[in-house]
Amino acid sequence: MVNIEINGKPVAAREGSMLLEAADEAGITIPRFCYHSKLSIAASCRMCLVEVEKVPKPLPACATPVSEGMKAYTRSPRAIAAQRSVMEFLLINHPLDCPICDQGGECELQEMALGYGNDVSRYAEAKRVVHSPDLGPLIATDMSRCIHCTRCVRFGEEIGGMMELGAPGRGEHMHIATYMEHSVDSELSGNVVDLCPVGALTSKPYRYSARPWELQSHHTVSPHDCVGTNIRLDSRSGRAMRVVARDNEAVNECWIADRDRFSYTALEHEDRLRKPQIKRDGVWQECDWDTALTTAVEGLKQFAADQLGALAAYGATNEEHFLLQRLMRGIGSANIDHRLRQQDFRDQNEQGPYPALGQPIAALEQNDAVLLVGSNIRKEQPLLAQRLRKAVRGGARVMAINPVDYAMAFTLAEKRIALDLVSELLAVAKALLEGSSEAVPQWLTTAIVGVAVEESHRAIAGTLRAGKQASVLLGAGAQGHPAAAELRAVANLIASLSGAHIGILAEGGNAAGAALAGCLPHRGAGCQASDGIGLDWKAMFAAKLPGYLLLGVEPEYDCIDSAAALQAMQEARFVVAINSYASVAMRDYADVLLPAATFAETAGSLVNTEGQWQGFNGAATAPGEARPAWKILRVLGNLFDINGFEQNSAEEVRAELEAACAQLPAAPAAWQPKAMSRLPAGLLRIADVPIYAVDAMVRRAAPLQTTADADLWQIRLNSVTAEKAGFSSVVEARLIQGAGEVVLPLLIDERLPDNAVYLPAGLSATVGLGGGFAAVELTHA
Amino acid sequence: MSEKMIELLSGESRADIDRWIAKYPPEQKQSAVMAALRIAQEQNGGWLTEELIQAVAAYLAMEVMAVYEVASFYSMYELKPVGKHKISVCTNISCMLCGSDQVVEHLQQRLGIKLGETTADNRFTLKEVECLGACVNAPMFELNKNYYENLTPEAIDAILDGLD
Amino acid sequence: MNLFSILKSLTLKELRGGLAVTGRYLFRKKFTVQYPEERAPMSPRFRGLHAQRRYPNGEERCIACKLCEVVCPAMAITIESAQREDGTRRTTRYDIDLTKCIFCGFCEEACPVDAIVETRIYEYHGECRDDLLMTKEKLLAVGDKYEAQIAADRTADAPYR
Repeated sequence: MVNIEINGKPVAAREGSMLLEAADEAGITIPRFCYHSKLSIAASCRMCLVEVEKVPKPLPACATPVSEGMKAYTRSPRAIAAQRSVMEFLLINHPLDCPICDQGGECELQEMALGYGNDVSRYAEAKRVVHSPDLGPLIATDMSRCIHCTRCVRFGEEIGGMMELGAPGRGEHMHIATYMEHSVDSELSGNVVDLCPVGALTSKPYRYSARPWELQSHHTVSPHDCVGTNIRLDSRSGRAMRVVARDNEAVNECWIADRDRFSYTALEHEDRLRKPQIKRDGVWQECDWDTALTTAVEGLKQFAADQLGALAAYGATNEEHFLLQRLMRGIGSANIDHRLRQQDFRDQNEQGPYPALGQPIAALEQNDAVLLVGSNIRKEQPLLAQRLRKAVRGGARVMAINPVDYAMAFTLAEKRIALDLVSELLAVAKALLEGSSEAVPQWLTTAIVGVAVEESHRAIAGTLRAGKQASVLLGAGAQGHPAAAELRAVANLIASLSGAHIGILAEGGNAAGAALAGCLPHRGAGCQASDGIGLDWKAMFAAKLPGYLLLGVEPEYDCIDSAAALQAMQEARFVVAINSYASVAMRDYADVLLPAATFAETAGSLVNTEGQWQGFNGAATAPGEARPAWKILRVLGNLFDINGFEQNSAEEVRAELEAACAQLPAAPAAWQPKAMSRLPAGLLRIADVPIYAVDAMVRRAAPLQTTADADLWQIRLNSVTAEKAGFSSVVEARLIQGAGEVVLPLLIDERLPDNAVYLPAGLSATVGLGGGFAAVELTHA
Repeated sequence: MSEKMIELLSGESRADIDRWIAKYPPEQKQSAVMAALRIAQEQNGGWLTEELIQAVAAYLAMEVMAVYEVASFYSMYELKPVGKHKISVCTNISCMLCGSDQVVEHLQQRLGIKLGETTADNRFTLKEVECLGACVNAPMFELNKNYYENLTPEAIDAILDGLD
Repeated sequence: MNLFSILKSLTLKELRGGLAVTGRYLFRKKFTVQYPEERAPMSPRFRGLHAQRRYPNGEERCIACKLCEVVCPAMAITIESAQREDGTRRTTRYDIDLTKCIFCGFCEEACPVDAIVETRIYEYHGECRDDLLMTKEKLLAVGDKYEAQIAADRTADAPYR
């Protein structure tokens, strides 16, 4: 600790900290623009000039390290004069367009100008006019307003991992721009809107639609990935107008992903259900809630209980998952599943209570060795990738075993790109066992026979073992793999052999909550054994169940095997959908549509990947007669005359669930694979879920769908595979998978392994195609 | 992609850049960016194309934007084609006080172009630069890497007449 | 009651005094304004019916900054804004509810572009509530009709602003 004095007040500051940081901690405000606690120090705005005793000139507090006995004055006449002069300089070129500026009312420059500016400018000459580049569909620019704080540039360099914005030019000609004016494509790009202290970078979808003082802020949580990102949803007379970041150091710090920021634009999509609807003789009719609910109950009652299945969305709230499974189990069916992006459930009884990261999110930064298995973490959990990036900047080695050489925002220390993830993991396990006499299960000893170990496997093994804090993280590619059970088993062993944490980067928004709420065929709420083991989704589809209850899912998009899902839905005799949106296919196969509120319009809670429960209340008004899904489920429970549906608020539902989860059973003994499953030969399709196709809401967020990350309507091959199949110079190709087929442009992509065809799931183009790691055929279009 | 970009730099240029890279610690390759840009500029007849900037970025494993920031900061790098003779007139304070305005006026009149332009016959480019460190004999300009100081209209005419 | 006051009552002193005043004014010059044939003089700052102005090129002035909406003490103004096709910030809705308005003139003072103004018009009526809800179209129509007067009033008042 260093003892200094600020404005005559003794302050104990951390050694090496800056004067401004010491002042902040002591509660003394110093004006600033370019300083940001999460970014490097630029000292370019000069607004934080303060007077320091025995120093002849004012010093920028953000770049002045504290030293013993330092005496600083932030409000002395000289300091104030310096600050007022800086403000006058900043305002020289700043346009006086606050009335039309979206930042007006919450602008740092506006606020500082009130305190430090003059009423009338002495500058009568022409102001600078700067070209405003088009940065894509998310960020609007008015570069004449820029005060050159370079926060956005430093964000791209230090946090986003892509230096897309820069400050070319010198002196008066310096401006913020992209190279050759391309769009800003980072999945975290929206954060520059929050960072910009003026109105130079603003949100394009929000542009000119409201003013800050009209907005009511609601604290809520984003349901689009397992991070549980804290957001603030601002609404005006019940309409959601925008989403901004909310600070939570333990979860998202002060950043949010673009997906969290702009998904609200789907709230008023034309697909949105506004009134309950029933299908009579093939014609949709709007009706009142009573009619719709009675029709739904009567329709479901016509089948035996075990002929009913329920599918839930990953992103539904805990309360919804909980009531859905209580309803189904009350009716007498345990056919409940939410794991639509997984296809291997052999080890479901041996899995932990919920897919967990196994360590606090903030602890990811402290890792010095991380192995990602089947994870495009940057697009799946952008904020976790950001934590890993921080770790890498601190010297950590992050490695990956992936089916695609995904572009990461950091350099991978080692990577193995292959379709057969199991063999790759076995090779790492074998490398770990080389020269070690640790006892391992018999199945592993058998499985690693004949597995070729390469230098990179040894490097991965060595790095994991050498890491003081190491982690093996399984991503959506591993979870959705047809041999996911083996992957989990081998990864668990690798972790225990190398002393690493094992963690799951769960797919979807609330996989942890869904598992805890018992939205599973084999486990009830709080991981209690289910009375009667139900069918998982694959078994449901195979058994051709005639009745389905859907909660927030569009199976043809959300299920990894779109073909099977679509067929099952179409063949079912009665489908009730509790959903916020209705897709074209859903209007075809469903019989009752019950309009549900989205996360923005309902109260509920989510459990994030580290197991933290986060509750929220409705921020906007649901359109038309849409109701919170937990209320719909509660009334359905009453109509079925089942006990346990007397709750009057989402909090009561949550309290019941929390009580059930108070004592979670210990993780059961590990699953033992019998023989390692093999992938089929020939061309295999890699079908991950793209960043902007994860759920019904994101898929309908127009600004996100026009970003570069959503431009995936191509069949991709690497050049070797294309050459072998004779597609080197083909522009368009037809992909045939089972009964489904699609004609799309062909693109050569060297990030893919040989014999792989990349075509993501969750796009309207890929509805009706089968799942990932399955054989496909490619023909000329 | 990046390999293709690097090929835009000729073998000689790359060898030249490597000499500069060798002067810095291996993890500080980007320190050679200014030299690399100069070498690339010389290779291309005095100016940098967008592709060459990308090539330098790829060669030094830097972000393109960071290289572009450097290239646009210094007036010695040209981002547009220049004429055979590049006249860089200093208009900073010392030169301005000693009459750089007349120098600029005279050059503009004689060449028939404005600051920042190139003559139609591609012989002359006239540009305004910041201080070149020759204040002692202001006003001055730099012509083809030579400094010409204590300029008067007559002296300028003599210099320009002496060019091929 | 004393003798003096009894006398005063009996002689009708106060009545006569009052009638004297009446008589005096009966023959003086009248200062009553004979509305509607006559009009009282008006200040250029008169705060009557609202109007929305345009620039001489026909472009509406209002930029949807919503300062009038937030300053309005009666909350009589409702604005919705959006980006127009040419990229400018414009209102898609601008309503003033005259049944709420208290004619304080704050909206006019808050306006950075002199778009919303209060005119000299005070003779207007509505036969139903709808008639007293001034929409953007109605406000612009008032502005178009009285622009000459409005502009003259702003000029006259300019030195004091």
